[in-house]
Amino acid sequence: MIPPTNSAPPVAVQFPPKELKKECEDILSRYPTRMAACLPILLLAQKHYDNWVSPEVEAGVAEYLGVSDSHIRGLLTFYAMYNAKPAGRHEVWVCRTLTCMLRGAGKLRDTALGCAKAKTTGEVGEDGKFLVKDMECLGLCEVAPAVFVDGEAHVDVTPEKLTELMEACD
Amino acid sequence: MASKRDKDGRYPETKILSKNFGVKDSWTLKVAKKNGAYKNLEKALKMAPADIIEEVKTSRVRGRGGAGFPTGVKWGFVPTESDKPKYLVLNADESEPGTFKDRYLMELDPHLVLEGCLICAYACGLSTIYIYVRGEYPKSQERLWGAIEEARKAGILGKSVMGSDFACEAYVHTGAGAYICGEETGMLESLEGKRGHPRIKPPFPAVEGAFGCPTVINNVETLAHVPCIIENGGQWFADMGIQPDPDNPRAMGSSGTKLMGLSGDIKTPGVWEFEFGITLRELIEQYGEGALDGRKVKAVIPGGLSMPVLTADELDVPMGFDALVKVGSGLGTATAIVMDDSRDMVEVCENIAHFFADESCGQCTPCREGCHWMEKIFARIQGGEGTPADLDLLERLFINIEGRTICALADAAVWPLRSIIRKFRHEFLAKMPGHEDAPASTETAGVGAS
Amino acid sequence: MGDAVNTIFINGTEYPFKPGQTVIQVAQENGIDIQHYCYHPGLSIAGNCRICMIEVEGNPQPQISCKLDCAPPPWIKEPLRVQTESEVAKQGREGTMEMLLVNHPLDCPICDQAGECHLQDYSYEVGQGQASTTTAKTKLPKNVPFGSKIVYDAERCIKCTLCVRFCEEITETNELSMQGRGDEEMVVMTSKGEFDTPYSMNIIDICPVGALTSRDFRFKSRLWFMDFANSIDTSSAKGVNIVTGGRNGTFLRIEPRYNASINDWWMADEGRVAYKYVNSPSRLETALVRDADGQFRVANWEDAISAAAEALRSNPGDILLDGGCTLEEMVLAKDLAGAMGKNAKFAAATGEGDGWLVTEEKGANAKGAELLEVARAKRAQAASVLVIEREEHVNASMREKSGAVVVFATDGEHVPESAEVVFPLPSWAEREGTLVNIDGLAQWMERNPAIGPNNLPVFVEILEDLIGELDDDYAWRGADGVRAEIAALPAFAKVALPWQTETPVGAGS
Repeated sequence: MIPPTNSAPPVAVQFPPKELKKECEDILSRYPTRMAACLPILLLAQKHYDNWVSPEVEAGVAEYLGVSDSHIRGLLTFYAMYNAKPAGRHEVWVCRTLTCMLRGAGKLRDTALGCAKAKTTGEVGEDGKFLVKDMECLGLCEVAPAVFVDGEAHVDVTPEKLTELMEACD
Repeated sequence: MASKRDKDGRYPETKILSKNFGVKDSWTLKVAKKNGAYKNLEKALKMAPADIIEEVKTSRVRGRGGAGFPTGVKWGFVPTESDKPKYLVLNADESEPGTFKDRYLMELDPHLVLEGCLICAYACGLSTIYIYVRGEYPKSQERLWGAIEEARKAGILGKSVMGSDFACEAYVHTGAGAYICGEETGMLESLEGKRGHPRIKPPFPAVEGAFGCPTVINNVETLAHVPCIIENGGQWFADMGIQPDPDNPRAMGSSGTKLMGLSGDIKTPGVWEFEFGITLRELIEQYGEGALDGRKVKAVIPGGLSMPVLTADELDVPMGFDALVKVGSGLGTATAIVMDDSRDMVEVCENIAHFFADESCGQCTPCREGCHWMEKIFARIQGGEGTPADLDLLERLFINIEGRTICALADAAVWPLRSIIRKFRHEFLAKMPGHEDAPASTETAGVGAS
Repeated sequence: MGDAVNTIFINGTEYPFKPGQTVIQVAQENGIDIQHYCYHPGLSIAGNCRICMIEVEGNPQPQISCKLDCAPPPWIKEPLRVQTESEVAKQGREGTMEMLLVNHPLDCPICDQAGECHLQDYSYEVGQGQASTTTAKTKLPKNVPFGSKIVYDAERCIKCTLCVRFCEEITETNELSMQGRGDEEMVVMTSKGEFDTPYSMNIIDICPVGALTSRDFRFKSRLWFMDFANSIDTSSAKGVNIVTGGRNGTFLRIEPRYNASINDWWMADEGRVAYKYVNSPSRLETALVRDADGQFRVANWEDAISAAAEALRSNPGDILLDGGCTLEEMVLAKDLAGAMGKNAKFAAATGEGDGWLVTEEKGANAKGAELLEVARAKRAQAASVLVIEREEHVNASMREKSGAVVVFATDGEHVPESAEVVFPLPSWAEREGTLVNIDGLAQWMERNPAIGPNNLPVFVEILEDLIGELDDDYAWRGADGVRAEIAALPAFAKVALPWQTETPVGAGS
């Protein structure tokens, strides 16, 4: 059965929070349009709100930048670095593109999923600690295979090294 | 032309862009200035903008992002009579797989990059520089921001660039993870805060680019060449590398130096700078030190992921725009991905097809549907459920995808895949029930980008 | 630039073009059909569906005709030569068609769009009988509500972005965006809860496939069982051109019809649902005459006309017309009033307008009334004849206060206590005639025979019969005669009347 109409709209957060106000204004000053600030401000918002952009944050950012919330949703689902779902406490990117694959990325993916207790990439593990994401080429090909843990690059990674890195996360 | 090789047959490095790569704290203004940073900008500011463009045209420098379009010609497209603000968007998205050369420039010599940008901006009358750096390069962003801040404080950037009446601002714009944003109009959309859907052309960015205004878009490495062209003259640059073929107007030559890289199944991956002309084999053997012990090179994609593959027999080709096209491939980003004889080419294709399916922006029908369809077919073959008819189907899909879309992503997907299934057909047949003993293909030449 | 190329060869024939025109536009103007999905003449060019491929001679790759400028590049001094049916062109379109169908559910038997689906039509024409894929189709959401009026099916969607562009460029409300990428791309609606643009339902019309369907119309009828007529929206006075769709007496759908001088391709949602009262269960289907005991009994037309004339002779008075009556009807009503020595007046509601296709004036022919010098009625208007189709024009209080003895009503619920004789009034969709919109443009309204009860009398004929009863010297003129008189009126000297012009105003594609 088709619902009679869409579900109730989310309650927008007050955006920007005062910690981000100055930085947001700084970003806005760089562009001739407010829409142009979408990408950097969403990255900022994601970092601020537990590493994901909830519908409430989405609505808040949309209001602040004077764009439709569907536009923001379009961005969140287009760019690989945004999370439109809860993302766990730590985020692990495993590069899966050709060079890293040749240098053993497949094993890293399995290792990461094992440590994260997750069945598949893109989903938060059972304990809510890790989100493992398949990423396309991270541009660290000469030191492949590469992973990012919480935004920090690690290169020449072995399964043992990755396990160590992930175990060090609290 | 005298051979550039030394008496041992080794092709030498030529360090122009990369001259500061090993220098301590090379990314700081203090060290960079000591090594000559911004003196070419100072020189350029005393020249007429048209003369700078002329010098760049003389240098015959071609775009280093993969397409190889003559940079001076591109600059010449910017309308001089226009009341609109004009922009420089520096393509630092470097999302092409296997490519990491621009990262070196941004991390190790951000002031060289900024100097190149400022000379371009001055020559073309551009008031704002946006450096579009991919989100996956946090260190590059940090170094570029650092360089911008230092330059602004030093009066190199701002209302009066080095005391002249030329005003210019620069900002780093952060991408958020999308291969397609390396396509210049996809990048413009992304810069404007939209999904990176490439624009249908015309209008071209030089006339209607960022925010509807005239815009120059250049690759990082391309603009990093500009200061030394100003220093030594366009002719000095044009004399390096491979000269144009006077009998073939399409063979515009490959002037100057190029950062070239190696990754994959290679003993010493890395990035080096050469005058154009080193062969792919020399690059692999002299600088990459060949395949890993006990293995042999089997296949190489000469630049990024998007070019047709070359087999071990085809590596004696000079790394240059025209020479690689001649053998059915392309220079691309000149950062080669090497695969050795332990590699399963079906698996490689599945990986490549997945990449393009994942990164297709979804705008044009043939790419949106076709890339995923190809991926499913490769997965089927890899799973032992393929038939020779699947290879025919793929050939038909290649026809219906290549050249049928707004941007070149679909072409980039077709080229490596088609060359691999043609050159390594036996590996595909070997996975098909009843065809396991198919002989290796002998037909390898003349295949690839058309 | 006197020597600029200004012609193009399409399939070997030379056609002129205007600067800026693309190949598909010139082809369409000259009756050459090129299949297209993402191209819409009223919206920006996206060039993403890739179906409108043609061959440009000299180019081995097919090109999309929606974006291809008819003017060759400046350095070429020869006209472009294109082929729409060559092997290259056909191969290009067939290749794209195959791609469009890879993940399409092919659920035409249960899809509401079947019969007016461009994808269905074209795949029937060029598609292969045999599918070349055995791979599983990509699963995407189905039955997604886009507010209370529209349902979205992402699997049927071909991502042409027409709906997104409509909301960006026409309404500028931006409710829709694309989300996801690659083959998971789909349209997403704002999370604001309701898709409340008053023009939202236009996206259903422009959707080339069955991805956007109208909650109001879906599953009501197959297109091929319906009859359609070119009519005029009578819910406001803009004169929006529409197509009425009905089946077996039931009014099922209103869709806009192109008219460059009024509504382009669009119409407001409120006009689309303005048909509901036509299907009222209390529709009048027979004439009624009040008995001596005060009860209505069914009468045949002749008896009813005599009884009505009798009632008017003893109660002469003004005629109160519904503001949606046609020019022809208004002229005859004036004459009927004249036969009684009285006047015809019209009643029409006013309400909110939006400055575009919804006018504050709700009387569809209020301007026509002005030209015919039929005055607007007061809120309490005494009358002996009442013509009432729409509740909002003549509400219950006005009806009762009129004291009308002869009533023409569409709905039995609208008959006032005072009525002695009642005639069933066909709804606007069941009548034909001329309306003048608020900007003074006269347009022809066509009757749809598949709407309304069978065998209703023609309103203008009853009016003439009544005049004849009251005026012994009356010479019957017929509707054509009335139209000739209208054309001769000084007030209409500058009005282009649709039955006079060669191409009727408002006749669109």
